Amino acid sequence: MNLKSPFLPQKSVIRSVVPMTHDNYLFEFRDSVGHFASCKPGQFVELWVPGVGEAPISVCSGSIDGNLQLLIRKVGRVTSALFDMQEGDWVGLRGPYGQGFPVEKYKGKDVCMVAGGLGVAPMRSLWQYILDHREDYGNLILIYGMRHSIDLLFRAEFKQLLRRHDIDVFIAAEEIVGPDLPPMSVQLGRVTDMVRLSAVDAGYEVAICGPPVMYKYVVQELEKKSVPDSRIWLSLERHMKCGIGKCGHCFIGGEFTCKEGPVFQLSELRMLPEVIECEGGAH
Amino acid sequence: MLKPVVLPKNAFKLFFQSLKGLGTVYAPVKVSEKSYSFKEVHSPEEIAFEALRTILPPKKFFYPQEETLIRYKNGDFEEVQPEKKFQVIFGVHPCDLASLGILDTIFSSEPADSHYLKRREQSLLVGLSCMPDKHCFCNAMNADTAGSAYDLFLTDTGEEYFIEIRSAKGVELIKSLAEKVSDANPENHEAYKEFWKKREAAFSHGLETENLRSLLDLEWENQIWDEMGKRCLSCGNCTPVCPTCYCFDLVDIAGLNAKEGERVRQWDSCQFVGFAQVNGDFNFRATPADRLKFWYRHKLHGFDDAYGFKTCVGCGRCTESCPAGIDDIVQVVKILQGKKENKHYEP
Repeated sequence: MNLKSPFLPQKSVIRSVVPMTHDNYLFEFRDSVGHFASCKPGQFVELWVPGVGEAPISVCSGSIDGNLQLLIRKVGRVTSALFDMQEGDWVGLRGPYGQGFPVEKYKGKDVCMVAGGLGVAPMRSLWQYILDHREDYGNLILIYGMRHSIDLLFRAEFKQLLRRHDIDVFIAAEEIVGPDLPPMSVQLGRVTDMVRLSAVDAGYEVAICGPPVMYKYVVQELEKKSVPDSRIWLSLERHMKCGIGKCGHCFIGGEFTCKEGPVFQLSELRMLPEVIECEGGAH
Repeated sequence: MLKPVVLPKNAFKLFFQSLKGLGTVYAPVKVSEKSYSFKEVHSPEEIAFEALRTILPPKKFFYPQEETLIRYKNGDFEEVQPEKKFQVIFGVHPCDLASLGILDTIFSSEPADSHYLKRREQSLLVGLSCMPDKHCFCNAMNADTAGSAYDLFLTDTGEEYFIEIRSAKGVELIKSLAEKVSDANPENHEAYKEFWKKREAAFSHGLETENLRSLLDLEWENQIWDEMGKRCLSCGNCTPVCPTCYCFDLVDIAGLNAKEGERVRQWDSCQFVGFAQVNGDFNFRATPADRLKFWYRHKLHGFDDAYGFKTCVGCGRCTESCPAGIDDIVQVVKILQGKKENKHYEP
């Protein structure tokens, strides 16, 4: 039997580290063999720091061209160890895994993207992909909410996005803290307020990614706007430890989030228990 | 496929010698007054033929509690192969054979698990018939016949063993015993049928399972889950003893110099509080009740969609090993079905 272990990662060298905020860095990894060239928006990889462990991280750029970008927040053991590493050091990467956002299904449609907090990282892969293929899509709305305005990520990119006329960008923070650099127009409020303000309607395909508590409230707002469940796409947060539908940690209802997801159509999820409701969190 | 053969019990010693010729033989051994465990045996005298359920199911031979997958050293890493060792597992009952069939499907689904499959390839499974006790309900879970995962299956018909042969490895072994075995005659076939009829009649659980799928969905909010949750210790005993539970964690175990170490796979349990926890301290199954009903749903319905089968084989190990005395699948299902009154849940 000549099978290779699916847990063997690809050795990948850190090409650059760009701090975005004090605890959010954008890491770029060299993908010399083109292992990740087929990455789709919304997919994820398993990142291994030898001696520490693995963590599932969302792909955060629309196309992978020799380099793979991952936005990483320093929250746990693996990410903390990564923050101690520098250019030239290597990590292990496995993937890409999962089904991303259905960009083919969105073709010819209006698309609304809703990101909360760190959910902006996977959402970036989607808006970059759609803007790269702009003529294939209709009206675009991008909503990005965070707790404190100082946590705003991809500031330079959002400045560019705000200047474009072919995408409506809404940025909201629950509290304005620290420098609000003009011309960033950060509004006081939550993502749900921005959904209400936006022109999203029943004709839009809506992609959502954010902390688990956010989904329930965003979905309620979308219901008020008559967006049908079949047009709401949620990227679910689960701890995908193996990424290949084996370890069981991300199993919900009848499906593995890492294999069938992490992006699911809300109409598929309505029948499943324990999808959106959760306990705890910093709220 | 070879026709079934018959081995007189007084020739079992030779049969055992042939098994030993293949590799290390494991069989149920009595380890305390009431418990049995699959252990290495050197002679037939050590085998507890009467054993019904072992503490741990035979999954441990192919999917050990802990195994190294990757070793890293001096800035590089490599895959660690499972030990080259042929394992013969003797005395595997139908429920456990069914469970190995389930694990075979799961671990060979893409991407295939090389560690499990390599160990399975270097093995021979010898099944053995059994008589159910009050906790057995394999027949309700369609796991009461030999299934597909065995090489040889022995039915105890009194003076001899009626042997079914399923694989090339099994054929080889029987050929080597040509002088001791004989083709099963009509009388042997009759004795075989007699045994299985008697066995079928010995089940006492009275469990009906045709509506499990919708039952688990419809009764998701049944108060029994909260009542069980109040008594559940979240010890996780029910999962390692379950022959189809295979959830795992992947951890790094670093050496003292931090320059070398191993990436290790360990058994995990969905009954532990952190199992469905994600970043930001959100927990999708925060209470024992949440975790218990998740496990029940997973066993009785959960893999209908992912693989097309249920993952409970009715072995009764969870019921027997639950220290809180609440994990009686048969009684819980009957309460959910409304066939048994729930008087503050007392199985």
